[in-house]
Amino acid sequence: MSSPTTAPTVPDATARNWASDKLFLGMSFWEYAKSLATPGNFLAGLIMAIGLPLLAYRFIFGLGAATNLSQTNPWGIWIGFDLLSGVALAAGGYTLATSVYIFGLEKYHAVVRPAVLTGFLGYLFAVLGLAADLGRPWNLPVPIVYSFGGPSVMFEIAWCVVLYLTVLFMEFLPPIFEWLGWPKARLWAVRMTIGLTVFGVMLSTLHQSSLGALFLMAPTKLHPLWYSPFIPAYFFISSIAAGLSMVIVESALSHRAFQHRADHHTDVDGIALGLARGASIVLFAYFFVKLQGIADGGRWALLSTPYGYWFLVEMLGFILLPSMLFAYGARHSHVRLVRWTAAWTVLGIVVNRLNVSVIAMNWNVPDRYIPSFMEVWISITLVTLGVSTFRWIVNRMPVLKAHPEYPESSSH
Amino acid sequence: MKLNRRTFFKVAGTAGAAALAPARTASAATSAEVLDAGRRGVLVDTTKCIGCRACEAACSETNRLSGPAMPDDAAVFGSLRKTDTTSFTVVNRVTPATPERFVKQQCMHCLEPACASACLARALDKTPMGPVVYHKDRCLGCRYCMVACPFDVPKYEYDKALPYVTKCTFCADRQAKGESPACTSVCPTGALTFGNRNELLDIARERLYAKGSPYVRHIYGENEVGGTSWMYITDIPIEKLGLPTDVGSYAYSSLTQASLAAVPFVLTLWPPLLMGIYSFSKRRDAVAAHGSDTQEEADHV
Amino acid sequence: MIPHDILTLYSAKMLEYGIAVLFLALFIPFWRYVQGPVKAPALAAARSRRPAARAAEWFLAPADRLFHRGHAWLMGGDEGIVTVGMDDFAAKLVGPLSRVSLPAVGASVGQGEQAWRLTAADGRSVDMLSPVDGTVVELNAALAETPELAERDPYGDGWLMRVRPSRLRANRINLMAGRAVHRWMEEAAAGLRGHVAPGLGALAQDGGMPVAGMARAIDPEGWDRLAATLLLTGEEGSDA
Repeated sequence: MSSPTTAPTVPDATARNWASDKLFLGMSFWEYAKSLATPGNFLAGLIMAIGLPLLAYRFIFGLGAATNLSQTNPWGIWIGFDLLSGVALAAGGYTLATSVYIFGLEKYHAVVRPAVLTGFLGYLFAVLGLAADLGRPWNLPVPIVYSFGGPSVMFEIAWCVVLYLTVLFMEFLPPIFEWLGWPKARLWAVRMTIGLTVFGVMLSTLHQSSLGALFLMAPTKLHPLWYSPFIPAYFFISSIAAGLSMVIVESALSHRAFQHRADHHTDVDGIALGLARGASIVLFAYFFVKLQGIADGGRWALLSTPYGYWFLVEMLGFILLPSMLFAYGARHSHVRLVRWTAAWTVLGIVVNRLNVSVIAMNWNVPDRYIPSFMEVWISITLVTLGVSTFRWIVNRMPVLKAHPEYPESSSH
Repeated sequence: MKLNRRTFFKVAGTAGAAALAPARTASAATSAEVLDAGRRGVLVDTTKCIGCRACEAACSETNRLSGPAMPDDAAVFGSLRKTDTTSFTVVNRVTPATPERFVKQQCMHCLEPACASACLARALDKTPMGPVVYHKDRCLGCRYCMVACPFDVPKYEYDKALPYVTKCTFCADRQAKGESPACTSVCPTGALTFGNRNELLDIARERLYAKGSPYVRHIYGENEVGGTSWMYITDIPIEKLGLPTDVGSYAYSSLTQASLAAVPFVLTLWPPLLMGIYSFSKRRDAVAAHGSDTQEEADHV
Repeated sequence: MIPHDILTLYSAKMLEYGIAVLFLALFIPFWRYVQGPVKAPALAAARSRRPAARAAEWFLAPADRLFHRGHAWLMGGDEGIVTVGMDDFAAKLVGPLSRVSLPAVGASVGQGEQAWRLTAADGRSVDMLSPVDGTVVELNAALAETPELAERDPYGDGWLMRVRPSRLRANRINLMAGRAVHRWMEEAAAGLRGHVAPGLGALAQDGGMPVAGMARAIDPEGWDRLAATLLLTGEEGSDA
């Protein structure tokens, strides 16, 4: 399923068929299978060889056997990391689609498709993480089809995510149809782009903020420095910064890892600098918005407590600092600095989501939650699966480079 | 923006109307008067509880649970217990002696339950009679109800491969048959009084404001989280009851009201806003690329 | 939730407004800092008085100068002295420069005749044609130190030389301006695509600026010949 990171060898002319062309990178099945023996694939395979049985164990023996969840701490890292952080980091899909298709910033065209793909896979694997966490995942269709908990924020999230996954998938149809060689279908898919983008931004605004709104229901359980009526705004604004940073990181890694599939004329550096400019402004505003939340709640005194120090680490180290570094890097064209800052920002988003869901949640209760080895490994497995899927798709479909028959894919 | 009971049931009612038949019977829209008349509650008078735990035994029997732990051993009061998947109610000794006071804990069956408003599949549902019931066939096991409940009532069957949420049911099926809940029916001292909530409030006030009454003048559950079905009166400081005192008197469903109210606004405002920006940027690009040639074209986008 | 009593509410509100005002005050300088100094590849050169026009999504061609088919430009200056330079297409085509060899002050240049030579880091070089007839009166001294300027800011600090034109009105017939420049740039970009080996697929990347040294990217071994062809100084003969 995964693909080699080096260019394939000369294809065996006798193995020419649709499967060879589309699935096996032009090789016969056996050649392809042999080509899979790379260090990257070995690592991925190792991770999954442990992780997939663990996943089975969790479903056979129950959540209690596989996780450290408890009656006091019903949510752990599958919610905090896989779902919350995964969704936040997948925000590159809507931020880039809006920048390119709505705001007309053609400069970023080369990274729209990878961003939409990252978005789609990010959401898909976040939902898979959720399915691992749910006690009865087979009931997922219930709130969609016949029993509607209207007053629930979770209900709105469920609907939004289902719709948005569909939107992201449909936004990704043009490269799929180009890969399959179906020009009429591709044209039909391309025409929907603007509508899908607008719909997607709407859905993203709603569920990015609603994931934060979930925690409004826990005023006595979430530490007051993180609890605020403005959590929805915090989550939404930080999702923009998360998406931009993730695109910077992903484009840097992709253009290095997929050199034989990437368009060498993409100005990855220029794009990174431009995105950094945007991210620095967003983080700057986000910092002040959170500051306003502290003022509004009158929480200043809490800053000198241990949790207060940790909050300051998040504010100063993971929000203000990257904002300044992005600004400096963008102004002086320091692409390396920008890339490392983007990675740091990604980490900062994960830290924030974990803070809200697990670290600052139930902060005043003796029974604290620490993830079990199995939970951690299953999370890593899901991420590995996501990355492998990304590689599989990028190695076959026109994501990092336009399809030769559709060079003007820039015009849709 | 506070959600009052009326609008809560209206929302619940219309949402219920949109769902299929099985959901309907639980909470079709009703008027406030009928609600008040039918709403049941329990008054827990801790001055009368002797810690016999007959309520625990009756609850376990009715719900076919394996409890209670240490049924005849007073050592059970050595530590404070919580409800769990095999004990829907527990009695804790909260003060050691003079006076020795016991507090029965169970689901509070809030008038506007956080758990029900949090449940995306309406597995937890408030009935007009009072009980917050659990429709286990709808539950996804997301455990958001556990995060939302300020009393930490719902418990999860983590040890099972096919787990459910568990909590006190207020014996809804017994109530439907006209009986009282198992626990209240076996209480020997009258510490538990089951009846119409308004009447119970009157009884409580009578006791509280009687001349020379030892009671603390606060009915816990009258207004907490917007009011609960199970209410407590006591003669020891309220904080000693072991029930959360920081929950406020607003219904928890009001906490997410503003956020959810924004949804239709976003759905309405975002498309014209975004399409406006789109038209503007398209026009600007057209003008920049082709000068005055394509004014006509630009005017049409 | 921490309750507000009515008195702390006053100071809390003032603090909130204060933070908002602080943010607004800091935002404007921050925005300007982040946007950075005006850079030629992304914006018009500082000297250009009118906004730059983008041609064919790829190359910059400011509206206030005249262009020669050899990809040089000239801009009218004071006292009849014109400034001459190379355009964005030529700059991107050749890429980073190690030397720019200009004619001496006082030398004559002819429109359509070889006038200066660009040498890249690998030692290969390509000549370019002068857009105008005249006498060189001044050279851009900065290029001796930093030849990269010519490639990085071809319309601004990377100007090449100043010339006193001898037949400007006649020369203008062979120079392009306005919309013609856009069409010509688009053709140049299309012509570039024609030089690409079929297997590489379309060069048309989705909207970003082409990286420097396009000729080298297309043909590492013979890029100088390719560049000379496109800049009209190749063996096919220079433009008369």
